[in-house]
Amino acid sequence: MSRTLREMRPVSVVGVGLHPYQRPGDTPYTALGVHAVRAALADAGLDWQAVETAYTGTATTAMGLSRLMYRHLGASGIPMTQVENASASGSTAFRQACIDVASGLVEVAIAVGVDKPAAFRRPTTAAGVRDLAAGRIVPFTHFALLANRYMFDHGATPEQFAMVAVKNARNGAGNPNAQRQKERTLEEVLAPPQISGPLTRLQCCPIGEGAAAAIVASEDAIARLGLDPARAVRVLSSAARSETVYQAENFDAALTRETTEIALADAGIAADALDVIELHDAFTVEELLYIEAMGLAPAGGAASQLAEGQFDIGGRVAVSPSGGLLAMGHPIGPTGVGQICEIAAQLRGEAGLRQHPGARLGLAHMVGVGAVCLVHVLAAAA
Amino acid sequence: MRVAADPGLYDPENPLPTLHGSRCDACGTTFFPPLGIGCEICGAGAEGLRAVPLAAAGTLHSLATVYVHAGEDIEAPFTVAEVQLDDGPLIRGLMSEPATIDAIGSRVAAQWAELRTDADGNDVVEPRFRIEDRGDAGGGAA
Ligand SMILES: [Zn+2]
Repeated sequence: MSRTLREMRPVSVVGVGLHPYQRPGDTPYTALGVHAVRAALADAGLDWQAVETAYTGTATTAMGLSRLMYRHLGASGIPMTQVENASASGSTAFRQACIDVASGLVEVAIAVGVDKPAAFRRPTTAAGVRDLAAGRIVPFTHFALLANRYMFDHGATPEQFAMVAVKNARNGAGNPNAQRQKERTLEEVLAPPQISGPLTRLQCCPIGEGAAAAIVASEDAIARLGLDPARAVRVLSSAARSETVYQAENFDAALTRETTEIALADAGIAADALDVIELHDAFTVEELLYIEAMGLAPAGGAASQLAEGQFDIGGRVAVSPSGGLLAMGHPIGPTGVGQICEIAAQLRGEAGLRQHPGARLGLAHMVGVGAVCLVHVLAAAA
Repeated sequence: MRVAADPGLYDPENPLPTLHGSRCDACGTTFFPPLGIGCEICGAGAEGLRAVPLAAAGTLHSLATVYVHAGEDIEAPFTVAEVQLDDGPLIRGLMSEPATIDAIGSRVAAQWAELRTDADGNDVVEPRFRIEDRGDAGGGAA
């Protein structure tokens, strides 16, 4: 019989660390990754030798890149596995680390996301799949099509999409690890260059480089290694789905709805119990679509609730308190792990300027082209 | 004469574009672009997938004018469309001219667009969708 993560033994995030997301530069991926791992080890109060397995979420950098990075932490001979799942690579690496601990295979596991943007080949090209648009529909245009349909269906305005970027820029301005740390006005977000449909440049996430690390451990390990149980953030559920056939229904939203329903049911909570959410806001329209798909607002209702401040830090539920992909950035491999870092900081009450008051329950959501969705629900220590 | 920019996808001989679709004998679903290996609904094998011509006509589901594109041979701006074909699938292609979102819900049909002339003097063509008549779709936006 299959079991949910919560029906296995408890697994908690005990340490998180980041290398700031930044414009692509000369820093090798090895330095980015080791910086994040050392930060996570220091946060947990652990030595590298305590880590029993490593999953590296990475999509754009190089084949088999793990050991050249981890070797700088000392030889241990642990299993090292690259996890490629497009934008959800880091989220999937985190899921694998959690499964290894929850199943009892290991006591301590690490998920690391690391990437430097590089030319990559689309699976449709490799598969020989062509369409009438002949390569003209790249991700921002995929979401521009959704944005225009959303405006048609709900009477939404370009200003309402832009408000998502205004909120997330404000959050990112308080995040020293964010690639964009500048507050933006509505006028600035709406200013040219126009990219596709209603989307302007500041409504599209920056693709940079960076790294993120999250260490997960069993209750036995927390006790044996003398870790602080009050700072351990429990992973209540891990849900993963792939796209099926939705006909005319927007598949990103449908897949998000299905996967979030599973994650919330497995965690035993309702959507309105969530305090903080990190979601795949690569383009402004996505935040509105996913808030609705998660059941936090009625169809077409997210924009007006956002304008009322319901998704601000300190509002009904803080959405993208890190700045999200729009402001913190989207270095691909790190992004999903970086969301876990932010949720852990929020649930520990350690998020500083970005702290959402009284945060107890958090949700992390990523979609990956191709197309997959990963959702994790986390809870503050009891 | 006309030659197809992408011969796998449409037949340039017809005066109006006809798309190369496929249909699954087992579950009856129609696909475009065509599937040749197996059915993505029911998993029927290649022998169950039959080539069918699809009229390049339907209802405009969404559209977007694209202002920036990194592709070397692709000149922006251009307008892309999602079209719910009368023959089944929701497909993506190009509009022959820009339009705004109040065109969503309109009837559209493809016509040949001449992209260039090849070395043999043939017109290289691809289908592009044109608004036939405005639907009374009743969407909220201007
Ligand atoms: Zn079938």
